[in-house]
Amino acid sequence: MAIAAPGQLNLNESPSWGSRSVDCFEKLEQIGEGTYGQVYMAREIKTGEIVALKKIRMDNEREGFPITAIREIKILKKLHHDNVIKLKEIVTSPGPEKDEQGRPDGNKYKGGIYMVFEYMDHDLTGLADRPGMRFSVPQIKCYMRQLLTGLHYCHVNQVLHRDIKGSNLLIDNEGNLKLADFGLARSFSNDHNGNLTNRVITLWYRPPELLLGTTKYGPAVDMWSVGCIFAELLHGKPIFPGKDEPEQLNKIFELCGAPDEVNWPGVSKITWYNTFKPTRPMKRRLREVFRLFDRHALELLERMLTLDPSQRISAKDALDAEYFWTDPLPCDPKSLPKYESSHEFQTKKKRQQQRQHEETAKRQKLQHSQQHTRLPPIQQSGQAHAQMRPGPNQPMHSSQPPVAAGPSHHYGKPRGPAGGPSRYPPSGNPSGGYNHPNRGGQGVGGYGGGPYPPQGRGPPYASSGMPGAGPRGGGSSGYGVGAPNYPQGGPYSGAGAGPGRGSNMMGGNRNQQYGWQQ
Amino acid sequence: MLAVVENNHDHRRPEPSEAEQPTPRVLTILSFVLERLVARNDRLFVGLRCGSAAGVVGKSLSVFHGVRAPSISIPKYLERIYKYTNCSPSCFVVGFVYIDRLLHRHPDSLVISLNVHRLLVTSVMVASKILDDEHYNNAFYARVGGVTNAELNRLEVELLFLLDFGVMVSSRVFESYCLHLEKEMMWNGAGQKIERAIVSNAVDDVTEISVEDTQISSPRTPQVVD
Repeated sequence: MAIAAPGQLNLNESPSWGSRSVDCFEKLEQIGEGTYGQVYMAREIKTGEIVALKKIRMDNEREGFPITAIREIKILKKLHHDNVIKLKEIVTSPGPEKDEQGRPDGNKYKGGIYMVFEYMDHDLTGLADRPGMRFSVPQIKCYMRQLLTGLHYCHVNQVLHRDIKGSNLLIDNEGNLKLADFGLARSFSNDHNGNLTNRVITLWYRPPELLLGTTKYGPAVDMWSVGCIFAELLHGKPIFPGKDEPEQLNKIFELCGAPDEVNWPGVSKITWYNTFKPTRPMKRRLREVFRLFDRHALELLERMLTLDPSQRISAKDALDAEYFWTDPLPCDPKSLPKYESSHEFQTKKKRQQQRQHEETAKRQKLQHSQQHTRLPPIQQSGQAHAQMRPGPNQPMHSSQPPVAAGPSHHYGKPRGPAGGPSRYPPSGNPSGGYNHPNRGGQGVGGYGGGPYPPQGRGPPYASSGMPGAGPRGGGSSGYGVGAPNYPQGGPYSGAGAGPGRGSNMMGGNRNQQYGWQQ
Repeated sequence: MLAVVENNHDHRRPEPSEAEQPTPRVLTILSFVLERLVARNDRLFVGLRCGSAAGVVGKSLSVFHGVRAPSISIPKYLERIYKYTNCSPSCFVVGFVYIDRLLHRHPDSLVISLNVHRLLVTSVMVASKILDDEHYNNAFYARVGGVTNAELNRLEVELLFLLDFGVMVSSRVFESYCLHLEKEMMWNGAGQKIERAIVSNAVDDVTEISVEDTQISSPRTPQVVD
């Protein structure tokens, strides 16, 4: 059973993915390690270009090609935008054991399949978590605008991201921000006919309609996540750090008020509304809690964190918000400080450990106050160049771009929630609601990219002890051999972006279109 | 070698909600279309083998070629996949779309009796991965399909690359393939309609496109016509 040799395939086509070997790249160093496999920084030999190579984990023989990778590839194939991570190609490797059996028909995929991404230096969470890091207001506006521009592009192309969170927003040293990790993304149609799974989006960023169990939803789900990130950037720490779904909803209700037929027509018909509706009246306190925010920021946040998805602001309208058009204006990405990008995996690991020690110590000290150490933004820098304040632990020259210690993205973050309060909850359902034997041995947990849970089969949250929880996953429990497949939960985030070619969105012209639109 | 063990009952199926699920019509139609195609191509293949063009044909699909044709017929094989994997009937339409795309992308390839089974099990499995939120893993499909897990994984990767990861099927395309399949049946004088409830624009995720049908009025054994 011979496979056509590379080059023999797709003769009738222009260069096709998978036709090149990973040998076209020189691996420089490993920059990440996750449930999905290794991420390498590499150089394309022919061009010298730096890329991120993400190995698609194929070692789970029973599952075959991971569904997350199939989804991500098929969606990224059709998205081309400055604020969306670019999947450049897919390369294969025959592996060193090519001819171990002396057979000439070596499997050209044996050594692995790699996704080739543009290289990116950081992710937003990693950057924000640097000790002492404070974003300036123009910097926050700059990131938010890029996030919204990229998301608007996805939505116009009928793609829901469904896992917007800081660690999936990659940032390069040119200040460009790109959406990454499309492993949970899917296409949607405007007629909202389809039943979609409500088990998406990392818990802290999951909108109330999904928590209440709706299976008909649209781009508004991503906008809720954007609102959470926005508030987090301004507030200095995550605003809804729930540990399970009921608590998540409760945190949302405490800030945004309880949903009722007045502020959210139709809410009482959503699957689990009666199960979760608060027993006492809860008023919306958003303005009160965040009263120190700038007026325009608060206005925009109000419209993003609107309970009723049909009234929630769209990405397009958000881009037109006063916030982005009043002083201080969003800065030019290129003007942002460059942060040390340490790709050296070992160094990173070492630093990570060090940081963990520090954090553990800090946590012990702060046990009764805050567990999150982010600082709110510098309110007014008054200039395009944000002056970053040095963190308490790191001396530095004030005239130089700040260089903070510690890894700035999550390539190397530890798997799973650590013992203490974990910074990020596992994507998907931490309550164990969709644990499934078939996922065993994958070491999924804590590392973004959630599993694809079954949908619409029985009430959710069985394991969180909610009333009304029935035989969830009814379809799956009796499957016996080869139970339905939950793909491995590796996120394909944290890949790379090349040197940004400036952004087309920084012009001061209010009427500009957003680059990809004519 | 495809070694399909017919009474492979050691795996339990989910509680059958309705006692015996009748075969969806799409299987009948698909079997008919494929059997006709294979019969035609087999003759062509033999002809080519005798001629000088031998070896040129079907190169891109060579990984799907078995040494000899499995003894199980196409309708029986499809029924078997449906029965054990419990995938949604639309997976068969989408699987057919993949095979068709493959042939268009690689015009040198021929679907013949040596490769049709492997093509089917692989494409239906990939379709089910894309369409059904709950689906069986490759290991299970391998057992159902009579190939080893390792081989099926390899076929899956091969299929994905041959398709250049073009696994998206819009509802418009889905509909046009349904119409095409129905028309094929109509020419044969047996007007069978694939019933479908198109739900979303993009066939993905949990979108259930039911191609189910309970009445089977015409002969189950498709005729092979020229």
